[in-house]
Amino acid sequence: MSLPYYPINDFDPAMKGMVIGGLGIFHVFLAQFAIGGGMLMCYFQWLAQTGRSALARRFLDSYFAWLILLSFVVGALTGVAMWFTSIQVGARTIGLMIDEFHWLWATEWAFFCVEVVSGYAFYRYGRFLADRSRMILLVLYSVAAWGSLFWINGILSWQLTPDGWLKDHNVWSGFFNPSFWPSLLFRTITSMTVAGLIACIVINTMRDLDRERRRELINRASHFLGPMILLLPLGVWYLMSIPADSREWVMGGSAAMTMFAAIAGGCTLIVGLYALIGLIGQKLYIDGLTATVLCFLAFVASGGGEFVREGTRKPYTVRMELFSNSITEREVAELRRTGSVTNDPYPMRDSGQYPNDQVRLGAKVYRFQCSVCHTVTGANSVVFLAQTWTTPQKQMNIAKLQHTKPFMPPFSGNAAELEGLVQWLSWEAAGRPMSWSETTQDRTAYLRIGSWINEAGTQSAQNLGLMRVDREGQ
Amino acid sequence: MNTLFPFGFPLATEFYLFFYILTLVIHVVFMNYVFAGTAYLVWAHLFTGGPALRRDQGPMALVLKDWMPFAVSAAITAGVAPLLFIQILYQQEFYTANLLLFHRWMSILPVLIVGFYLIYLMRSDFMARRSGFWRRVVVVGAFLCFAFTAYSWTENHLLSIQSDSFWGRFYGEKRMVFFAPELIPRLALWLAGSIPTMVVMVSWQLWYSQRRGCEIPSRDIERSAHLALGGLALALVAGIVYGVFAGSPIRRYFFGWMTWLYFLLAVAGVGLQAYAWLQQRQETALDVRYLIGASLGALVTIAGMTVVREAVRLGEMVHRGARDVAQFYPLHEKAFGVGGFLVFLIFFVVMIGMLAWCVILVRKGVRPDQPTTQG
Ligand code: HEC
Ligand code: HEM
Repeated sequence: MSLPYYPINDFDPAMKGMVIGGLGIFHVFLAQFAIGGGMLMCYFQWLAQTGRSALARRFLDSYFAWLILLSFVVGALTGVAMWFTSIQVGARTIGLMIDEFHWLWATEWAFFCVEVVSGYAFYRYGRFLADRSRMILLVLYSVAAWGSLFWINGILSWQLTPDGWLKDHNVWSGFFNPSFWPSLLFRTITSMTVAGLIACIVINTMRDLDRERRRELINRASHFLGPMILLLPLGVWYLMSIPADSREWVMGGSAAMTMFAAIAGGCTLIVGLYALIGLIGQKLYIDGLTATVLCFLAFVASGGGEFVREGTRKPYTVRMELFSNSITEREVAELRRTGSVTNDPYPMRDSGQYPNDQVRLGAKVYRFQCSVCHTVTGANSVVFLAQTWTTPQKQMNIAKLQHTKPFMPPFSGNAAELEGLVQWLSWEAAGRPMSWSETTQDRTAYLRIGSWINEAGTQSAQNLGLMRVDREGQ
Repeated sequence: MNTLFPFGFPLATEFYLFFYILTLVIHVVFMNYVFAGTAYLVWAHLFTGGPALRRDQGPMALVLKDWMPFAVSAAITAGVAPLLFIQILYQQEFYTANLLLFHRWMSILPVLIVGFYLIYLMRSDFMARRSGFWRRVVVVGAFLCFAFTAYSWTENHLLSIQSDSFWGRFYGEKRMVFFAPELIPRLALWLAGSIPTMVVMVSWQLWYSQRRGCEIPSRDIERSAHLALGGLALALVAGIVYGVFAGSPIRRYFFGWMTWLYFLLAVAGVGLQAYAWLQQRQETALDVRYLIGASLGALVTIAGMTVVREAVRLGEMVHRGARDVAQFYPLHEKAFGVGGFLVFLIFFVVMIGMLAWCVILVRKGVRPDQPTTQG
């Protein structure tokens, strides 16, 4: 079997998902700024060249300098960073995504090239160009920026809803998946929101304009916040398009997911109400501080959204195809026969710290199968979670991992590995004593564990139809 | 293997090797501008040559400062394309090296962000008001950031061709820094080789202002030619040192069946560049014929060396017992089967059109007498 083994790094005390999520927040926010910013500038260019606003051109140039400084530098590099971090967190996942979608990624790259060149041309020469040329450059920039969203959105939404692709493995079935349109439209509108809010901040930095003139610009910029009203139906549409079990976690099934979703929703609601009632309805002025606070709320909202997006896929990174721990369902049975880490060429670091071979084996099994979602003693600590369980409880709950919690994959090792894992957990919980006796002679325990593993089946809880939502769907 | 690169592999492998080399060459061109360009700026700021010379205010330094932000963007953007193909060609090798270096590897991103902002800072009014000392600090800082990035790519590359058992030991010993004797000479080869590419690109930019009526002092033209020639000579020395440190198997790949033609082409490219610069040196204005000669030479050298570099990788992996190249074939075959290539081609053509449109708009829109440097 050709399961690739990669060296696995320890992120303790942070969970790997937290690392990618934390970086993702920044990247997504900056990317949204770039996308919405392009559209906003087209709008202001139009205002300027049709004589609707005398100030629009002034605003454009200061706004664009911000966009370049932030999005061309940090936006572009956090994009590469997302890629590198994805490799760190789950090399096999990103590898699968590349294998399947590299030409679409290459297409996205073509759009990105246009974004860089047209953006830079405008930054450098925009001041000298006639209105028509300025508009063309801005439109090229916006189309390219939105186009890269279009392509990447298809690949990312495929991870959660690959539906048709699972049957025919066709690129386009994967790309135009059930959550493609709702998430594309949702992200488009959040991009407009971010661009509008940042515009309000930038306008406040234009100190040489008096308040009345700044208010005029702010009223124009706030038109970009109007579409937020569509976020509610789009959000509902998105939730309806994702798998029922994922939806259920967002809506109360998993406390953490629900909390993130609630934070995202709450922040969006505050920004939306302020924008619709205050800025659009009453044409109020908004000062720099308030605009920054609203912008921060939007940041938190998109951050919450990113965590939910990363979280609801569990136990998969590509639903029904690849588990978060880089094992496919098809490989589970084989790994149970041969042992999941028998062929893992990477030794344990500081291997002398373990009291015996069995515990060392358990630590290795943890590293391979569990460490992508858990830490030893930090966030979502596996030792902490299981510390009160008795030994048979541990044995059974881990053997039936996907029955214990549906957001965990099935256990993919043999009985000896599982007992090693249990011993390692107990040893860690006991404070890592110097000596620890092996239980490798306990035949009955091994037999018991073996039969529990068999009973658990090799499929995920989702595929086994174990959950209420699955049964309701039938 | 006794056919010329990239033939002799299965079709899918040839196909991805071709795209990998093509896109890597583009990355190398822009990367050279950044790497050698910031190195030149360091030199020009540390050794200004006194009030008579003022290297830091010379035409080359001014063009470099003016265009560096765009060049960095271009180098990074152009880097994404080979990054895509390397993940198809050598997925497990590339990922493993990334994972083994861990924080060490990830640190290139914050470092690049710092380098990028230092470039913007270098050109700002704020910096223009600071003393020469601070200007030097900023320029040196920016260069160090890019040099660190280049070092890391070389380190990652060399680690990626080690054997499984080496990787296992490296991991077990909790190391995060990889060193091999050929690392420094290899990096020096990259830096020295960057110089002539950078000079010819800047010379085109200067030629463009010359055509718009701005005179380039012949002293500066001569200096550019000397710089390019010096870069070629340094690259030759670095290449020889690299060959010595890398050992005889690597030297063999240079003249192997797969690459001899490319190696010859690369050498011929060096000759062409040298000839063009020797001629240009004697002229009082930049001559388009010599610039074309030097550019062609540089392109052929880069392309030839990029192919040789690939042959070294393929050969080394087998030689170290790391991997059998044939084990990659099914993976390439599988990737080859997925759709989307046609769509990419269509949008690629559209992209070229759009880029051309941007250039035309700017060229038509900006009058020759307008100052177009950005503060
Ligand atoms: C796909 C991610 C993922 C993987 C892989 C994973 N877990 Fe979990 N696990 C979770 C999540 C999420 C929870 C819920 C934590 C909570 O409720 O606070 C959890 C909970 C647990 C719990 C507590 C369960 C309870 O009912 O309180 C234990 C014990 C546990 N995991 C052990 C393991 C072991 C052992 C492995 C490896 C064989 C593993 N997990 C692999 C995500 C994962
Ligand atoms: C501006 C800063 C950069 C510099 C100075 C730089 C320099 C280099 C150098 C010197 C190499 C050759 C390494 C060797 O063969 O020994 C290289 C290779 C490469 N670079 Fe860059 N690079 C930069 C940024 C980037 C970025 C941001 C990316 C990705 C987005 C990238 C992608 C690549 C790829 C894919 C290779 C080939 C690696 C291999 O084949 O092993 N580069 N770069």
